[in-house]
Amino acid sequence: MGRKKKKQMKPWCWYCNRDFDDEKILIQHQKAKHFKCHICHKKLYTGPGLAIHCMQVHKETIDSVPNAIPGRTDIELEIYGMEGIPEKDMQERRRTLEQKSQESQKKKNQDDSDDDDDDDEAGPSTQHVAAVQPQPGYVTPMTQPGMPPVAGAPGIPPAGYQGMPPMMPGVPPMMHGMPPAMPGMPPAMMPMGGMMPPMMPGMPAIPPGGCSACWRCVAAPVQNRHLLCFSAQAQQNVPGAAASSTVASSDPPKVTFPAYTQPSVSSSSSTSSSNPSSSTVAKPPATVTSKPATLTTTSATSKLIHPDEDISLEEMKAQLPRYQRLIPRPGQAHAAAPQVAAVGSIMPPQQGLPPQQPGMRHPLHGQYGAPPQGMPGYMPGGMPPYGQGPPMVPPYQGGPPMGMRPPVMSPAGRY
Amino acid sequence: MKEMTGSNEYKLNQGPEDGISAAKFSPSTAQFLLVSSWDCTVRLYDVGGNTMRMKYQHTAPVLDCAFYDPTHCWSGGLDSQLKTHDLNTDQDTIVGAHDAPIRCVEYCPEVNVMVTGSWDKSVRLWDPRTPCNAGTFTQPDKVYTLSVAGDRLIVGTAGRRVLVWDLRNMGYVQQRRESSLKYQTRCIRAFPNKQGYVLSSIEGRVAVEYLDPSQEVQKKKYAFKCHRLKEDGIEHVYPVNAISFHSIHNTFATGGSDGFVNIWDPFNKKRLCQFHRYPTSIASLAFSNDGTMLAIASSYMYEKGDISHPEDAIFIRQVTDAETKPKST
Repeated sequence: MGRKKKKQMKPWCWYCNRDFDDEKILIQHQKAKHFKCHICHKKLYTGPGLAIHCMQVHKETIDSVPNAIPGRTDIELEIYGMEGIPEKDMQERRRTLEQKSQESQKKKNQDDSDDDDDDDEAGPSTQHVAAVQPQPGYVTPMTQPGMPPVAGAPGIPPAGYQGMPPMMPGVPPMMHGMPPAMPGMPPAMMPMGGMMPPMMPGMPAIPPGGCSACWRCVAAPVQNRHLLCFSAQAQQNVPGAAASSTVASSDPPKVTFPAYTQPSVSSSSSTSSSNPSSSTVAKPPATVTSKPATLTTTSATSKLIHPDEDISLEEMKAQLPRYQRLIPRPGQAHAAAPQVAAVGSIMPPQQGLPPQQPGMRHPLHGQYGAPPQGMPGYMPGGMPPYGQGPPMVPPYQGGPPMGMRPPVMSPAGRY
Repeated sequence: MKEMTGSNEYKLNQGPEDGISAAKFSPSTAQFLLVSSWDCTVRLYDVGGNTMRMKYQHTAPVLDCAFYDPTHCWSGGLDSQLKTHDLNTDQDTIVGAHDAPIRCVEYCPEVNVMVTGSWDKSVRLWDPRTPCNAGTFTQPDKVYTLSVAGDRLIVGTAGRRVLVWDLRNMGYVQQRRESSLKYQTRCIRAFPNKQGYVLSSIEGRVAVEYLDPSQEVQKKKYAFKCHRLKEDGIEHVYPVNAISFHSIHNTFATGGSDGFVNIWDPFNKKRLCQFHRYPTSIASLAFSNDGTMLAIASSYMYEKGDISHPEDAIFIRQVTDAETKPKST
């Protein structure tokens, strides 16, 4: 190259002999070209990592590193970036470089630039690698430059680890392969395990005993739903990398996450309009498919800090008696709380309304145009009809049996 | 008078006496902050002097508030009534109502219209000058959140639906989408540059989405996990309740039920900063118009039911470029 030799010369890939400007770019290249699973396209960190992934996840053995030149296909050699390269190959490389630089500098320059261009993943991915610097204190950092590797580390190349020591004691060694760090990793691994698209309930014995233990315990409770969720998520979480963009582009623009869109949304809306009041019941017909009216996200490894019902936190809080008391009764406005039956004796009529009223109201408002005309202390334009009674009745007649007293009240009288 | 929790942060005095539902800075100055609360009040604070300047009442908890202009604010809540308050005369006016609690109140400067979203599954527009109702528009489900991007309105409803409306032409929905997150939508906020929006869910996850439906732009969308804490070997996943954009840098802050506030750079996909943990869930976040202050409403949101919890409070924090500006690599 004509440059002075660095301590380790310019970073180069042992598997295919290419040169790189930067070790980060080299690593990205290795992950994309040599450590990428041909079945699921997951990028691992090392050759052995890839082998183990294929065995555990796809039950397939691979015996050589993809895209490697002959003689450099050893899948068992633990090479990461420039680390792990056998000394004799290093020396051979140095000799070759010296020869080349002596013979024709210009020619070497050309070759190098060509090589760099080939690595088209270098650009965007590098950013994400560097992006990891501000490390969260969580096990799962915000950006996942590559998909969570089999090894289980929160997917970040060494660059990002400086700030991580408390969380990941075993991380740096982990980068170079699983066995060394496994024992220390299990707790940290668990959430990561949840992100592995296909779980391996029964794993063949593999060197990192701790690893397999984790996977088993994670696999058990994780339901299909979670798998779908995480696999799609894993695809999403490869921002900028070529892989994710291909995944995304294969779907219609609106629906980019197949797993997420399996739910037939139309059914959820129709059912939800008919019985939001039963949202506190375990599993009413209102299914937002993946998340029915109750959320089931507790697994052995993760817990969603949210009430079980799939209604908003504000709706939940509004159901408390001390707020229910303050909510105006039907006629003017409807309380949001679907389930008031148990609550206030003051509120009988209101209970039956929410499910039906919204649907009822709109046409009525249409009749009256824009009822509120800025009159202070006004009653909502819909008042008169409700005061009369007839409009009120239909919901009760056709509505769900609320077991409540008929709307005897005169809403106007409420205020 | 000021309680200093740090030299750059302090707690507001005379805070609401119950949960805080929303905190919004005035559009023209970092000095005034509007706060709506479950104690049925809407309060105006002088942030610099740390005093409460004004307070008015609703008959039930107030779920959202917004400035129309520096001297008029609008608010709505469980009483389903939409009120506007003149901050000069300290006078209320009831503008109108929904058929169920009003969950969101926003202003669209480009079209000069107030927008409300309700659990009655409708979005209503209001002319702020008269003031009066300017239309009712049915949504597929209860409205949980909405945000204005230029002359467009992005509505997030129950059932994970997302609708994009053109506020100048409300005859039809411009875009119908499904949230790319698998869990209930918690908050949507549009980018100041109007290119897209950020959507958060109850499951510790945030998605960055773009409005342009073309495939090449849609490819840029992504999501990431956040507001999750590992405790005793179990990952606790928290709702992400609040999002606020820094008007100048186009970076955004998220606040979760874990009590943390994170600041993110969506273009470089990095987290820029995380503040100290607040006493309880973050219910609302608001950057001031000049991007120098961040109002943080630390208010328990009943994620774990009706239990005792730390005092609800609003913290005002001076933020620096280091915390909010994208780092040029």
